[in-house]
This record gives sequence, C-alpha cells and structure tokens, in this order.
Amino acid sequence: MSRQPILIIDGHLDMAFNALHHRRDLTQDIQTLREWEDPKPPGPSHPDSLRRRKRPESPSRGTVTVSLPQMRQGRVGIMLSTIMCRVQIPTPQLDDGMRTQEAAHAIGQSHLHYYKALERAGEIRFIHSTEDLDNSVAAWQNPDDKTPVGLILSMESADPILGPDQVQWWWEQGLRSVGLTHFGANTWGHGTGTRGGLYADTFPLLDALAETRIALDLTHASDLVFWQLIDYWQGPIHASHCNCRALVPGQRHLSDEMIQAITERGGVIGMVFAEAMLNPALNFDDPASFPPNARRPMSAVVDHIDHICQLTGKCQHVAIGSDLDGGFGREMAPVDYDTIANLQYFLEILERRGYSSADIEAIAHGNLLRFFRQAWS
Amino acid sequence: MTDSRPLILDSHLDLAFSALQINRDLTQPVTTVRVHDSVQTMEGFGSCTVTFPDLRAGKVGLVCGTVMSRLDPDDKWTRTGMYAQAQCHGVGRGHLAYYQALERQGILKFIKSTADLDAAISAWQTPTADTPFGLILTMESADPILGPDQVPEWYELGLRMVSISHYGTSTYSHGTGTEGGLLPPAKPLLDALKTAGIIIDLTHLTDQAHWELLEIYDGPVCASHHNCRTLTPGQRQLTDEMIHSIAERDGVIGAAFDAWMLDPKWQRKIPPYEQLTNATLETVADQIDHICQLLGTSRHCGIGTDLDGGFGTEQAPRDLNTIADLQKLQPIFEHRGYSNQEIEGIFSGNWIRLFKDVWSP
Repeated sequence: MSRQPILIIDGHLDMAFNALHHRRDLTQDIQTLREWEDPKPPGPSHPDSLRRRKRPESPSRGTVTVSLPQMRQGRVGIMLSTIMCRVQIPTPQLDDGMRTQEAAHAIGQSHLHYYKALERAGEIRFIHSTEDLDNSVAAWQNPDDKTPVGLILSMESADPILGPDQVQWWWEQGLRSVGLTHFGANTWGHGTGTRGGLYADTFPLLDALAETRIALDLTHASDLVFWQLIDYWQGPIHASHCNCRALVPGQRHLSDEMIQAITERGGVIGMVFAEAMLNPALNFDDPASFPPNARRPMSAVVDHIDHICQLTGKCQHVAIGSDLDGGFGREMAPVDYDTIANLQYFLEILERRGYSSADIEAIAHGNLLRFFRQAWS
Repeated sequence: MTDSRPLILDSHLDLAFSALQINRDLTQPVTTVRVHDSVQTMEGFGSCTVTFPDLRAGKVGLVCGTVMSRLDPDDKWTRTGMYAQAQCHGVGRGHLAYYQALERQGILKFIKSTADLDAAISAWQTPTADTPFGLILTMESADPILGPDQVPEWYELGLRMVSISHYGTSTYSHGTGTEGGLLPPAKPLLDALKTAGIIIDLTHLTDQAHWELLEIYDGPVCASHHNCRTLTPGQRQLTDEMIHSIAERDGVIGAAFDAWMLDPKWQRKIPPYEQLTNATLETVADQIDHICQLLGTSRHCGIGTDLDGGFGTEQAPRDLNTIADLQKLQPIFEHRGYSNQEIEGIFSGNWIRLFKDVWSP
C-alpha cells in the first residue's frame, strides 16, 4: 500500500451476535475462524456429538470476514457494534428472533457482557464520552497489534430495553445509539418488510431516550415509522447502515427525502457493503431471489456516496456502516473484498474516483467523530 | 381450598437455556410450547416437560436455575458449546438477565439469603395463582466466571452453587465423558468460591476430579442432579464411596430424571424417539432409596430432575408427562414406608437445610 492507512470507523457491526449466535471467537485470525467453520474431519467424537441429538444448524451466514485482528490490520480502530435481538417468531430461514421480550432482553445482555469480557481481555475499549473518543483516536495514530478497538455500543431493535425506566441503566452501560425496529414488527413498532407505525407505548420510551444523549438510528424503520420519528424526536439522528433508494429500489433503503431529513439535522448515513443492498435487480425482501455470489465491486458503494454528496452538496453526511458481519459473508460482499482489512482498499477507490484527502478522511472517520462529539457535548 | 401437597424444590433446571437457546416461552403451559416447537427442535431437545405453569401445577415452588455455557467447540448436539471463555461469560450473563427479567415481571424472586428462603417457603404454604417461584441461581460449568476476582460479583448477583465442569473439558476441570483431573485454574477458583460462600456442585466431574476436589477443598458440597452407579453403571453416576464422601460433608444429592441415568438398557446411540425406556417414577424412587439405605438416613436425598436438560418426555420416566407429575412420587414413597417428615425432607427440606447451614452458619 503506497499511502498511509487512515483510521476507519465502521458505523455498524454485529460482533457479539457473531460471537454468541455463530460461536465465532472474534479474537482469532480470520483464517483460523474459517478453518474452524469448515466441516470437521471424521474422528473420535465427543460424548455429546452423537448423531441422535442434533440441533438444526443455523442458516448459513456465509464465510466470515470480520474479526479483531483483521480490523487492526485494516485500521478499523473504532466501531459501532450492536446489541442485537428482536422479538419475532423464529422460522427455519430466520431463526434468531425470540418469542418474548424478556428473552430478547437476556440475549441483549449476553451481547453487552461479551463486549465487557473482551474489554477485560484488553481487546476492545468502551467509548462512553468525548474524552474516551479522543483517547481512542489518539491511540490509533500509532497503533500496534494490540491496540484495543474502540467500541461505541449500539442497539439494533430496542426489544432488549424492557421499558422507559431501563433507559438510564442502558445509558450507563455505554449504549449510545438505538434503532427502535429491525426486521418485522417488534415491541415498539414496524420495521423492515412491514407497513405500519410506532405503538403508543413507544413515545414514553422515546421521551426517556431523549433524557440521555443516546442517538436515534433510523435504519430499519418502516416508512411510516421513519417520518413519525422525524416528527417526534428532537435529539440526534443518524442512519448507521443504509443505502440510497434512488439507486436500489426497496423499503430498506433511504429515499432522497429521507436523506435530506437526516442530513438537515446533522445526521450521518453509513454505507452498507452488501450485494443485496447494492444490486438494483435484487429484491431485498426476498432472499430467495439472491444469487449465490455477489457480482459488484466495492466501487458500487461509491455510487451511493456520490449520490448523497450530490444531493446534500457536501461530503459531511456519509460514513461507512459496512454491516459486513450482518447475516452474510464473503459470498454476498463485494467481489473485490475478502476481509474487513480491505476497507483500506476502499479508501483508495474513493481516491481514484476523485475524492480529496479531506473528503476521504471525513468519510472514513471524520463525519462520525463530529456526529458523536456533537451528540455528547 | 388449601393445598396440602408437599412443596418441591428442584435442584437442577436449565430454565434459561431452554428459554434462550431452545427459544421456548416458559410462561406458557407445556402443551402450548409443544405446539410452538418445530419438529427439529422436538427431535433435538425432546418434547417439552418444564414450563412455569406446569411447575406451579406440581407445586414445584423452589428451583435451582442454571447459568449454563461451556467451552466445547465440538458440541454437535446443541451447537452452543463455545471456543473462548469470553463467549461463555456473555451467554452466562444472558441467562442471569433472563431470570432478572422474569423477576421484574413478578414470575420469580431470587433467593439470596435465609430470610429470602423463609419468605419463599412461607409464600408457598398457601400458594396463589401468581405466587412467585423462588429461584436459587446456580451454574453448570464455571466457564462463565472469568477468574477468581469475579467470584464476589457473581455472588452479589445471586450465584449460590457452582459445578466447575460439565461435558468435556472446561477451563477448570475435566468433566463427563473425559478422563483426567482438575486443571491448574481450579484451585484459586475453589478458594474464591469457598470464601464467597458458594456451594460446590460435584455433578459432571470425572472420578479423578471428584476425589482431587475433595482433597484440596474443604467447603460445602452437593450433587445437584446425580444417580447411583450401583444401579445404573457409567461414569455419569456416583459410586457408593462418592455418595459417602458427599454425606460426610452433610451434602445433598438430587435425583436426576434422565432415562440415560436411570435405565441401564437406555442406548445413547439410538435417538430417544426410537426407543422406549423402562424407567418409571418407581425407578427414581429406587435411586433415592439406594442412597437412603446406604447411609441409613434420608437426610442427604433430594430431587434434581434436569427435566429440561436437553431431553423431553421420550427420555424421561415413562409415567411422567410434565414436571407437574413429580407429585406422583409422594404415594410411591408412602407405599414404601417413608414417613411424611422423610418425604418432605426429600421433596425440599434437605436442600433447605443445606442452604440454611451454608448461609447462616
């Protein structure tokens, strides 16, 4: 690589979900994780590994591409990573929804405490404040192979918050960004793939969230929920991982009006590196329509960045929200992408597409830094 | 109408695992959960027998509910065994959070002290339709405890009983299905657990680890879900010498209701849904009776069913439909000449005594 690596903030990863649901030990090198996930050779079996009692495999999430050593390698030094669990009847295709909110809360806490265990081991460091953020940025000026990855804790689907009275506790645990909904309709309202709004009990929750400095993430809101939130919520807003509906049709993406609504209020939109959200021929709501492999390179993401920059007239509202461990793997990630370390290569693509150094730094980390500094000041 | 049936304490249930990893809504009756469960879930984990409405129907008012996550990368059965302790810690804290969420709902109440225990017992003298269950938090495999320095925090959170191993080899010891003893991190952990006042559950230790543990640790012990090797051969059961060693420390042994641990003819190589066990509730009574005869007292016997421990009706005593059927044990013991006092001891009193001894010495 000719130029110096630039600090990258990834605005959306599901690290704990990968570690606990898919049993990936994220402190391992990606090659090790891939070998562990390959079918094991036949050999002496564990007493429990009897054919007779076999829990169904989770649907494959594809070849793993995100782990902490690769993040360090690609200088992805700060991340928003989720607590992710929603209330939804489990199906063989989508088996990670829980039947009750209490169960979703418990899974959410398991995610929280996985991050805490990683912090105890020195692998990551929670970012609670502007000061923590500054320290993390400083540490990543001259990183070594042990520099902890900074974590801004986020939540995708607010089912783990059992009520408004729990919001303060979650804030104290480090929660700094919340998306109310996810797939389907949950405790609080309608999300991706559904039509409908917020529920009445959601407004007291929003009021409690407003008393903290937690940012609201509009990703995965239904259209109606999106506009209800724009109308009701006065605090900071962003879209941690969303692309543009003008380029790829589908409710999962942001319309131009939505992009303007977010950016007018200082929000930042994170770009997703998924074929399913880059290829206009695919129906996001029907995974059966997906091809077995992606066909687009990372430059397809630049088209979405271009679109937002043209629409807003500046480069201040775009970031990376890769979602590269969010239910898909290398197969459905851009064809010139192998591990998250390749995000540095994406910055080179931006350079070749004519983005200035200042713009590239803004996209890589500057815009999200500004957003959270403002939210917390 | 007063409920004169004896109160039952079940010293081993994996309620949080059932709710979170099998994804069952335990506030629903067993009959509803059986409708919810997919065919694959039923074949993998068996037909559900344990939910809160059925515990209530059986007057099982006190339960030891586990935090359960272990290092076990080759776990092809539940696909929940982990590669690193940080993952176990995450899952374990999730189990705790599930119980806390149920406490918030009023379904259960944590028992952390003798006063809490007395209050729960008293509430279950005249239970109502929504008397909260008393939960004593336990842990199966100590992998979620990241080090001895974390033990006081776990105690604060309610942890009162820990087995340091499970299937395979944990951070701290060899366990069921392996050969070997304790591992070096065991000693400092055991010291911290003793200081905190957490009981050691000897279940799922190898023979070697069982004896090594008793050698280096002199605190309170029990076996939360264990049967007798004399009646059911196999490493998973306790030898008569082991039973004596637990009784000598005034511990209690909970009888397990798993056909694999009750029925010598049970075959692990055949799916549970392709065989019928001969084990009945009488067989469970035989296991308890063996310990009583061996020790000359019923003081060390209890009930630790494990009925949601990865199996269902197919692998449970054939005359048991749900956990509510535990009450059928009362006439069985009466018929065998046990006094009411002895039956109450086995059903809950012996465990209560052990907890009180440890908590208010």
